[in-house]
Amino acid sequence: MIQTSPLSSGILDSVSATDSMIELRGLVKRFSNAAGEFTVLKGIDLTINRGQFVSIVGKSGSGKSTLLNMITGIDHPTEGQVIVNGTDIYDGINESTRSKWRGKNLGIVFQFFQLLPMLTLLENVMLPMDYVNMYDFDERPQRAMELLKLVGLEKFANKLPVLVSTGQQQLAAIARAMACDPPLLIADEPTGNLDTKSADTIIQLFELFVSQGKTIVMVTHDPSLTSRTHRNIIISDGELINETISRSLPQLRHRHMLEFTKLAETKIYQPRETILSRDEHVDYFFMIRSGEVEVVLQDKNKETIISKLGKDEFFGEMELLRGGKAIANVRAGNKPVELVLLPRADFTRVMNESPITAEAVSKIVQKRLEAQKMLDPRENHQSENMVSIRRKNKSAATRPSK
Amino acid sequence: MTILELRNVNKTYSTAAGDFVALKNVNLKVQAGEFLGVVGKSGAGKSTLLNMINGVDTLTSGNVFVKNISVHDMTEDQRAQWRGKTMGVVYQSFQLLPMLTLIENITLPMDLAENFKPRESKERAMELLKMVELEEHANKLPAFISGGQQQRVAIARALANDPEILVADEPTGSLDSVTADIIFDLFSKLVYEKNKTIIMVTHDMSLTGKFSRSLTMQDGELIEAELEPAFDKTMMRRRK
Repeated sequence: MIQTSPLSSGILDSVSATDSMIELRGLVKRFSNAAGEFTVLKGIDLTINRGQFVSIVGKSGSGKSTLLNMITGIDHPTEGQVIVNGTDIYDGINESTRSKWRGKNLGIVFQFFQLLPMLTLLENVMLPMDYVNMYDFDERPQRAMELLKLVGLEKFANKLPVLVSTGQQQLAAIARAMACDPPLLIADEPTGNLDTKSADTIIQLFELFVSQGKTIVMVTHDPSLTSRTHRNIIISDGELINETISRSLPQLRHRHMLEFTKLAETKIYQPRETILSRDEHVDYFFMIRSGEVEVVLQDKNKETIISKLGKDEFFGEMELLRGGKAIANVRAGNKPVELVLLPRADFTRVMNESPITAEAVSKIVQKRLEAQKMLDPRENHQSENMVSIRRKNKSAATRPSK
Repeated sequence: MTILELRNVNKTYSTAAGDFVALKNVNLKVQAGEFLGVVGKSGAGKSTLLNMINGVDTLTSGNVFVKNISVHDMTEDQRAQWRGKTMGVVYQSFQLLPMLTLIENITLPMDLAENFKPRESKERAMELLKMVELEEHANKLPAFISGGQQQRVAIARALANDPEILVADEPTGSLDSVTADIIFDLFSKLVYEKNKTIIMVTHDMSLTGKFSRSLTMQDGELIEAELEPAFDKTMMRRRK
C-alpha cells in the first residue's frame, strides 16, 4: 500500500495503487463524560474496495454514526488508522488540510439536505467547486447543470430549494455531493426522509455512480436498500459482524450474530479435501465464506454429487439439529474453500433462542432433503428414513427454548 | 414605520386536479420591529405567504412592498440580490453545510454576497456566534453540536448580511420545548435589542403568546379582525 507522506505535496491528490478505497485498522473510539469512559468503537478492522456499493446497518447507539465520522475525517479516533483513498487522514494532517482533502475526495449526503435556502439549486451545486476551487470559474455553471441533468432537475436549476419537493431537494444535494467528482460518496440515511418512489430514484442514481467506478458507503435502516448493495456491514455494540455469518443467517438478532462472530473460527480446505465423512460425528456448523463444497453420496464404488453449495450457504445443520452423524460426505470443490465454523453447542443454543432463524434453517433443510431424496441412488427405505429425519428435524428446529 | 405591506395578494396553483387557491386576497401591514407570528394548520397557506414576502415564488395577482420596493416587479437577479441583503431565512431543518465549520457556515453568505471584506466577514461571523452564545464552538463541524445549537447557528447565518427582516418557517418544529424557548429568547433579543422585524409561521397554536402579534391563517386567508398591527406603546416599552 502506498501511503502518502503528510509532508509530500501530493497529499490532496493522493492516489493509491491498491484496490482499497477505505481501510480501517484497529479503530478504537472512546468518549469520556461525567459518567465515565465509554467505548463506542472497539477495534474495527475493515477494508472497502474501490467500486463497491456498501451499506452499513446498526441499531441506534451501535456506533455507526461514529464510524462514518471516522471515515469522513469529522471525528478523531482514539486509536488506530483510517486510510481513505490512499491517505492516512489522521496522521500529521491539520484540520484545514483535512477539510480541503475532504472537499476533493468525499461527497457527503445526509438525511436532511442542507441545501442553502437562499441559493438556487444550480448555485447550491456550484458551491463545493467554489469552495475547493476546482474547475475553471466559467466552467462551473455548466458542470453544475450537467449534474442537475443527471439527477433530472435541469428544469428546476434556477429555483430555490423551498419550491421543489423533498425528494428533489435530496437529488440536488446528491448532485452537489458529486460536484467535485469525488471517488467516494458517503451517505447517511439518504432516503430516511423520503417516500418509496423517491428513495428508489436515489438508489438507482447510486447504482449508476457505482457502475461508473465510484465507491459508495451508505448508512440505512431500510432492508430493501441493503439488498441492492454489494456488501452489507452490520455494526453491533461497537464491533463489526462477520459478513459470512450475517449473510448465511440473516434472520439472527444482531447480538447473536456478534456472539457468533466472536466464537467463529475460519478454516481453509484444499480442493477435494474431505470436510465431513458420512457417519462421522459433526461438531460444527459450517458457513462458506468463499469457494464451493460438494455433498456426495457414495454407494459401493459409485458416487453421486447430490448438491453443490457456494458462498454464504451452510451445511452441518441437519446433523446438529437432529443430534446425529453426517448423512453424506462433504468435500471441497475443485478450488480451495474457506469456511467459517461454529461449535455445535453454541449453534444449537442460539437456534433454541431464535425461533425465526431455526424456522428458516429448517426450511432449507427440508428443501435439501427433498433434493437429496430425488437424487439418492440407494434403496427406497433409505429415502423413507430421510423423511422421518426431516420430521424430527423440523420439530427440533422449531421447538421453542425452555 | 410600515416595513412590509401585502396588497390583495392571490396565489393559485394549477395542478392536474384543477386550480388550487393557496392565498385569497391577503392584505397585511407589518411595522418595523414587530415579532409577527402567523399560526395555522398545515396547508393553510403559511409557507406560501412567506414565499410571497421574500419573493421566492411568484404571485398570481396583487403586490408585496418591502420598504416601498415592489418585490415582484424586480427581475429574478435583482430580487436575488435584494433578498440577500434584506431578508434572512430560517427553516425547520437547519441546512448547515456538514463539511464546513460553524464559522465557515456563517461567513459563506457574506462571501457570496461580497458585502464584506474577508477579514470583516470573519470578525462579523464571530460576533454573530457570540450573539447566539456559540463562539467557543466556532471551529467545530455541525455534527458535533446539538440540534438546538445548529438552529442557533442557522439563525446567525441568516443574519450574516445584516438583513432588516427575518422570515422563519417552523424554526422550532424539530426542537424540544426547552430548546425552542432558547430560540424564542434569541428572536426576542433580535427584535427588542437589534431592531429586527421577524415574521414566523407555525402550526403550533400554543406558541401564540410568544409573538408581539399573532395572526391566524385558514384556507389561504388571514383572519380579518387582526390585520391592523397591535403595535403600540407596549412594544416601544419592551424595546427599551
